[in-house]
Amino acid sequence: MKTNGLYRGLIFGISGALILALLGLIVIELAQDSRQSLEVLGTVPDFSFTSQNGEIFGKREMTGKINIVNFFFTSCQGPCPYMNSKVAGLYQKYATTDMVRFVSISVDPETDSLNVLRNYAARFGVTDERWQFLRGPIEDVQDLTENGFHLAGELPNLHSTKLVLVDADGNIRGYYDSFDDISLDLLTVHTRELLRDL
Amino acid sequence: MSPEIKNFRKWALAATIVTYFLIFVGGLVRVSGAGLGCPDWPRCFGSWIPPFSRDQVPPEFNAGIFNVTLAWIEYINRLVGVIVGILIAGTAILAIRNFRSRKRILIPSVLAALLVAFQGWYGSVVVSSKLMPHTVSVHLVLALTIVSLLIYITQTVYHLENGGGSADKKINSGLRKSVIFLWLISIVQIVLGTQVRSEIEMILREFPLLFEQDIITVLGPINYIHSIWGILITLISFFIAFRLVQKQKDTTSLARITGGLAVLLLVVQVLIGSALEIFGIPPILQVFHLWTASLFIGSLLVLYTELAQVKGV
Repeated sequence: MKTNGLYRGLIFGISGALILALLGLIVIELAQDSRQSLEVLGTVPDFSFTSQNGEIFGKREMTGKINIVNFFFTSCQGPCPYMNSKVAGLYQKYATTDMVRFVSISVDPETDSLNVLRNYAARFGVTDERWQFLRGPIEDVQDLTENGFHLAGELPNLHSTKLVLVDADGNIRGYYDSFDDISLDLLTVHTRELLRDL
Repeated sequence: MSPEIKNFRKWALAATIVTYFLIFVGGLVRVSGAGLGCPDWPRCFGSWIPPFSRDQVPPEFNAGIFNVTLAWIEYINRLVGVIVGILIAGTAILAIRNFRSRKRILIPSVLAALLVAFQGWYGSVVVSSKLMPHTVSVHLVLALTIVSLLIYITQTVYHLENGGGSADKKINSGLRKSVIFLWLISIVQIVLGTQVRSEIEMILREFPLLFEQDIITVLGPINYIHSIWGILITLISFFIAFRLVQKQKDTTSLARITGGLAVLLLVVQVLIGSALEIFGIPPILQVFHLWTASLFIGSLLVLYTELAQVKGV
């Protein structure tokens, strides 16, 4: 009688643990899938601007790498320095890989000459090709922000402070608020997932 | 046997079991990264039932961080928490109504109810601190304290129901001291474990190019301390098990069963711990690692109380 009870308890315990294990595996799998399945939110249209080093840089140069894109202008006092300091933090974190690129596009090309952009890049400790500061005709920049990246706002002052994640095929996979640490953590999680696919 | 006792035993047992389930669910939330699935508390994205899609997220929240799966995982954790709260509140109300003179039931029941209310509120601190490591550890230690109280209540009422309940603190006092010592260092081990987990998360944030399965190779000294502490626990456990076998004539059958259960859980735990090292910390094993630990300390607590029971009653 007593041994019976013990066996019953053991079988009950083992089957309970198995059910929990199954449940746990399903939940973990669902959570992982939900992070990996990043919707394609749009495609970056063709564009071609000039980088701080005077080189041509556009969609063609973005292809094949994971890109984190934002819009800014050097004389902006409030949000831009903060946003770009966040990008600078990411630039440091990804220092050991060439697969993650940072692309900052000026929305005030009149003021932001290549020389100004070069100095600005130096201020954020940029020493290599991984972070590109771009300058292009204002109409093209306007078109790119609104119709390419779907970031509405009057330029230059009302440009967006979002960071845009673009995959190796030039598809937009996410928008992240540079003023929200949870959102920025998510950006690194999503970037990891895109790198896993490369 | 009075119906009040039987009824109370059912409530206390249900509260214990569901609390253990909640500890499991809490572990799942942690490893699946759903802790911030709901950025607010007690509501989720501003409503009592989380949104099902991004369009339903109210404008005051950043829709970009919304993930329907993670929001619902966190929400279910909160729902199970509410069920636990109701069960413990029910247990406390019954204790106040029917067992006012039995301090060994009344005090832990009321304490458990107060702690579970605090724990519910503390959930908001964990969320608003964005899962700071020490808040997550406090959240877990509170859960372990609550489940320990519930175990004690259930065991006490079980003895009451079976006409026993006469305990003599002098019986097996040396062995009981070792059991409570083991219990204490096991709690420390659990807290060390939460620190290992926190370090994993810190590394994931700071080194965005590392995948979780590779992290075990870069973990700092905390992981060694955790492993060595585990070996210490294993040695002490086998010493206690050996003494238990020697003294089995003086112990109740429940003491022998829980002693056996503790050894079984320990073996399982050592296997899981080794598998974590070998297979690169798969998430499901992390959850079971914590859960087995919480069952282990529960069995030690039952053993401690049981060793003081006068045999044959």
